[in-house]
Amino acid sequence: MATEKRFLDRLKTYLLFAGPTTFVFFTVIILPFLFGVYLTFTNWDGIAKTYTFVRFSNYATVVRDRMFWNSFLLTVKYVFYTVLIVNALGFVLAYALTGDTVRGQNLLRTGFFVPNLIGGIILGLVWRFVFSNVLVFIGRSLKIGPLSYSWLANPDKAFWTLVIVSVWQYSGYMMIIFIAGLTHIPSELIEAATIDGAGGFHRLRTIILPLMVPSFIVTVFLTIQRGFMVYDVNLALTQGGPFKSTELISMFVYEKAFLAQQYGVGQSQAFFLFLLVAAISLTQVYFTKKLEVEA
Amino acid sequence: MRKNQLGLCVLVLALVLSFSVAVFAQDVRITILNSKGEIQTQLEDIAAYYSSITDGVTVEVIAAAVGQSPFERAVALYASGNAPALLMLDAGDVLLFQDRALALNDEKWVADAIENSLSMATAEDGRILAFPVTVEGFGFIYNKAVVDKALGGEFDPKTINTYDSLRELLDAIEASGTASLVIGPEDWSLGAHFFSLAYSAQSPDFDEVNAFMDGLKAGTVSLAENAVVNGLLDTFDLMKEYNYDKLDPLASTYDRGTELIGTGEVGIWFQGNWTWPQIADFDTTGGQFGFLPVPIGNDPEALGNTQIPVGVTKYFIVDGEQNSPAQQRAAKDFLNWLVYDAEGQKRLVVDASVIPAFSNITIAPNDPLAVSLLEYVREGKTMNFVLNLPPDHWAQVGAYMQKYLADFSDRDAFFKEVEAYWQGL
Repeated sequence: MATEKRFLDRLKTYLLFAGPTTFVFFTVIILPFLFGVYLTFTNWDGIAKTYTFVRFSNYATVVRDRMFWNSFLLTVKYVFYTVLIVNALGFVLAYALTGDTVRGQNLLRTGFFVPNLIGGIILGLVWRFVFSNVLVFIGRSLKIGPLSYSWLANPDKAFWTLVIVSVWQYSGYMMIIFIAGLTHIPSELIEAATIDGAGGFHRLRTIILPLMVPSFIVTVFLTIQRGFMVYDVNLALTQGGPFKSTELISMFVYEKAFLAQQYGVGQSQAFFLFLLVAAISLTQVYFTKKLEVEA
Repeated sequence: MRKNQLGLCVLVLALVLSFSVAVFAQDVRITILNSKGEIQTQLEDIAAYYSSITDGVTVEVIAAAVGQSPFERAVALYASGNAPALLMLDAGDVLLFQDRALALNDEKWVADAIENSLSMATAEDGRILAFPVTVEGFGFIYNKAVVDKALGGEFDPKTINTYDSLRELLDAIEASGTASLVIGPEDWSLGAHFFSLAYSAQSPDFDEVNAFMDGLKAGTVSLAENAVVNGLLDTFDLMKEYNYDKLDPLASTYDRGTELIGTGEVGIWFQGNWTWPQIADFDTTGGQFGFLPVPIGNDPEALGNTQIPVGVTKYFIVDGEQNSPAQQRAAKDFLNWLVYDAEGQKRLVVDASVIPAFSNITIAPNDPLAVSLLEYVREGKTMNFVLNLPPDHWAQVGAYMQKYLADFSDRDAFFKEVEAYWQGL
């Protein structure tokens, strides 16, 4: 009786504070998700009122679709480079902007963070102009070979423009997380290490980096997840081109559903993507958690 | 507590008031989804004008971005329960909406629609589901001032009916010191328009064109062995050779193409008559433009060497599901006004440069591309505009064409890719 009462009380409190959020989360995330899973078993084209059940044939199509796996591998490659560079650069920036060596830290921090406040579409369009007009103009005026042709028209270089723009966009954001982590490292540990004779690099390797693991868990998780889900920059910067060579997985799924009018297949691809990204992210969190140390 | 009650009263009162306004006012508000981005402002003007001359009807225009598939936008609007009263769709997508669109068989304009213009809008059960918005065609657009100067006299477009005569013309333009031709690298232009010639030039009989495409689907047609397809790619190779953007063939944009041809920096551009509103912005020659066919091979009699593809590319459907009967009525009235009212006709044909698909509209367009196109129509020099291609054909085959254009693949690889695309459908 008593536990039941307490349960009811707890439920009331929960509903009072988290009820609206739960309701919204359930209606705009969970329900559409379940409905989407349901649609993977149909051949719906996106608009017709009737459709038939095709059981698992959409999934079979996805497994057999070479273009899907090409796009997926390209995305993995993109995620690999962006995660690596964004985190490395973000940490270097944070480290440089927390010590005593650099002046004007607040201004620089703001400057590096600003790209993250610009929407991906605008950012993509701005960089599109830079890559296809500004750089080409500079390259041709100064006779710099690699810059005289638009990078966006070459499949390999277009891939790197995506990486460059993503790095530019996210390094500042990760820098903020790293700065928060760095300022929480107890100064007595650093001082003790200094008194014991540890140099700058030694301190970084044995004290600071191990204590920064919680920050890295967050930033690596964020960059992996954003990398797999990227769409806006892809759309505005390269539009998947030249000739679909930079079509990352989100764009591929979207075009399958809405352009090829195969909603069921597109949903199946999206569900596949969900499983893969969830698996990768959970593995990453599990293993990096093991690296955590107590100060 | 008192305060709260007062607030509640005000809220309820406001709600009641807003509802009663909605109920008692006779205002009908309809929305049009426009998917011809190049006439967005003209259509907005038409909507504003129509709203001003009718009593209580307000027409609004929303746009699908240039390059965005109208299907995609329409699906999103339907899914949100917010479908416009009129949706402008691509010809090939109309029948996908047959559960949602209103049957228009009883409308007056059905009798005045030109031949074949309703075939892609008629469902199997005989319901006519859509209103043909515009007749469009494509080919090589030439800037007459540039070509006249190159030839040292009046240019007769009829002289260009073979691969060799096209090469001579390009040489002559180059010799006069102007760039001869530019290839727009847009996937929709290359995939949906240029390469569609490979299908439509197979035969003047549309059933045979369809049979050819069915053969591709079944894997029984070999592109490498097809003379028409090879001839078309020979012409494309010629275009590549003379391409103004040869060094960086994928970097150009649609807007730049309109500027190059409009200002006469380049003599010839492969595109359709829908480009006129943009070309007009750059035109310095007083509207001297026209169409040339895209010649395939050296037989002047071959299909496609004197003809250009013409077809009804865009249709309006009237939503029969999420709009009220009054809104549907207003939408139908608006369509009738476009076809039968003198002012509506003028605004559609003259202001928006639309070639209408109705025989009762006699008003002549004053845009040179439409005039040139209508000349081909009048002389019977038209061929099928293949509009029933698979929905992602333009994007996929367009990408393969881009690859071929930028020399990232050769002809064999290109044929294999196109064949694989059709067989994978």
